[in-house]
Amino acid sequence: MSGHGPNSVPPRWARAILWAFFGLCAALVVAGFFVSPHGKHHVLEEYRLFYPIYGFVGIAALILASKGLRRWVMRREDYYDDE
Amino acid sequence: MTSGLPPFLLFFAGAALAGATRGAVRKALLVLVPVLGAVNIAGVEAGDQLQMQLMGYVLQPVRVDELSLLFGYLFHLAAFIAVVYSLHLKKGDGATLQHVSAMVYAGSALGAVFAGDVISLFVFWELLAVSSVFLVWSRSGTRAVRAGTRYLIVQVVSGVALLAGALARVDETGDLTFGYIGLEGLAGWLIFLAVGVKAAFPLLHGWLVDAYPEGTPTGTVFLSAFTTKVAIYALARAFPGADVLVFVGAAMACFPIFYAVIENDLRRTLAYSMINQIGFMVCGIGVGTALAVNGAVAHAFNDVLFKGLLFMAMGAVMHMTGKTKASDLGGLYKTMPVTATLCIVGALSISAVPLFNGFVSKSMIMSALIYEGHAWIWPVMIFASAGVVEHAGIKIPFFAFFANDSGIRTREPPWNMIAAMSVGAAACIAIGVWPELLYGLLPHAVDYNPYDAPHVVTQLQLLAFAVCAVVAFQLWKVYPAEIPAVNLDADWLYRRAGARMVRRCGAAAARAGLALREGAAAVATPVCRAAFRAHAPHGPLARSWPAGSMVLWVAVMLAAFLFFQFL
Repeated sequence: MSGHGPNSVPPRWARAILWAFFGLCAALVVAGFFVSPHGKHHVLEEYRLFYPIYGFVGIAALILASKGLRRWVMRREDYYDDE
Repeated sequence: MTSGLPPFLLFFAGAALAGATRGAVRKALLVLVPVLGAVNIAGVEAGDQLQMQLMGYVLQPVRVDELSLLFGYLFHLAAFIAVVYSLHLKKGDGATLQHVSAMVYAGSALGAVFAGDVISLFVFWELLAVSSVFLVWSRSGTRAVRAGTRYLIVQVVSGVALLAGALARVDETGDLTFGYIGLEGLAGWLIFLAVGVKAAFPLLHGWLVDAYPEGTPTGTVFLSAFTTKVAIYALARAFPGADVLVFVGAAMACFPIFYAVIENDLRRTLAYSMINQIGFMVCGIGVGTALAVNGAVAHAFNDVLFKGLLFMAMGAVMHMTGKTKASDLGGLYKTMPVTATLCIVGALSISAVPLFNGFVSKSMIMSALIYEGHAWIWPVMIFASAGVVEHAGIKIPFFAFFANDSGIRTREPPWNMIAAMSVGAAACIAIGVWPELLYGLLPHAVDYNPYDAPHVVTQLQLLAFAVCAVVAFQLWKVYPAEIPAVNLDADWLYRRAGARMVRRCGAAAARAGLALREGAAAVATPVCRAAFRAHAPHGPLARSWPAGSMVLWVAVMLAAFLFFQFL
């Protein structure tokens, strides 16, 4: 978080939205067991939890890797100013 | 041409008239040009062409087929939206320069997609570069001027590569037609390189993330619509089915999402997002089947709409607050609720949420990857799809309009900006809900339905759990903070490494020159001294000798000669 000012959305609202979202996630996992891939599909799609796990783990890895990337590429804001 | 005017002509005429008019007349004219252009192009049919002879070669400035028509429709729609978005510009904003260059730019993009031969393509290719740079330069300040200059140099290099490729092709085949070229011979690779620069292939992409965020709020909307999409058109025309494009596309879809997570400037985040989306298109063209190429060009169409919408939303924020950095923004939904809502529509569209346009085109590419057995690339592209949700779906609207309250209190942007964003948002939803609107325009016959239950459910699962990861990292306070900083990328190669190399080469040349001079002096000085000793006024060779001694010496020489003769 950027660290300036208070949270712009009132905590009560934020909490309600979050719970609704978690409910949706749960519903989607359940719905996944009622549909099965048909036609030509990837072998990974046969695992019913492939998409939720891949989505979560993929983004978690993305965020952690990006934090690591900062060590290599981040420079102060005026880095190019003396061109 | 059997029907209608050449599509670019109306825009060039519009540019000339826009330069000569002011105020309401110019505004009416600017809106009228894409509308009249659309009426004109509606009367143009596949198979139409315009030919001329030049030095024994047949040039085709206009050649109409399904592929060029699709991009023709797209560019008219994009020009209309972007023109409406820029109507509020005043004299102080460099309105005339921006309006005129934008018209020439849009016309050049149309010229390029309707060009039937490589020479006409080259002309419009360079015009694209020269006209669009003014949209960066119009944002005054050293940063913009320098970024624009770098952009222009790279674009012109791309044009030079295209011209070299065109000439090599004439030499190889004697044919100027711009059709399927493929990666054979020097010509194919040179043209591929030219297109690769404009399509922002990895390591050739520095110009995009360097210059686009430095453009004016309105100029960047034009920039996002045309240059890279002309490149996608050219790839789809000349290199469909080139295997290397599958891997290039996968790389393009993946590497920018890492940068997008840590980028603080939200318009630069969108520039990275643009490379990521182009990656999907390039990958589709690499697969090369009818479904894949359809998916690629359909995604180009949709990308212009949703990426344009997101650039417009960030442009509106920039116009009203003067800021685009995530670390300076936040809480704007309180005073810009309409802009925030429209931005969220763009975010949902780019994230490929069902019922929004990104879903109906990206699905075609993903399905084509499975159908053609790209079992290892498919998971990579699924990862890239999830990555889009993180940076474009959440980061852009969240840090601009929600997150921590920055304390900025402003107003909604001018009505024309809201109107343009609304048209873009409406198009995103309309194509998402009725995909046949877009499928009917695609170059190959379509038998594809994105809306089957497993596909919709699994897509929602992927997106929802990607969002879950972001939410969890935010709640656990592990999410990377927005830090005002510069992240080194490919443009570092010429801004720092290249510049350093040139400076070092210059210094080395200067040192070598000095050493050469000193060496020459070391040799020349004793020679000169010896010559001076001999020839100076009192030197032995400058003295006047009596005639008798000269005769004596001649006699001695002759005697020596005789002696050696008889020896």
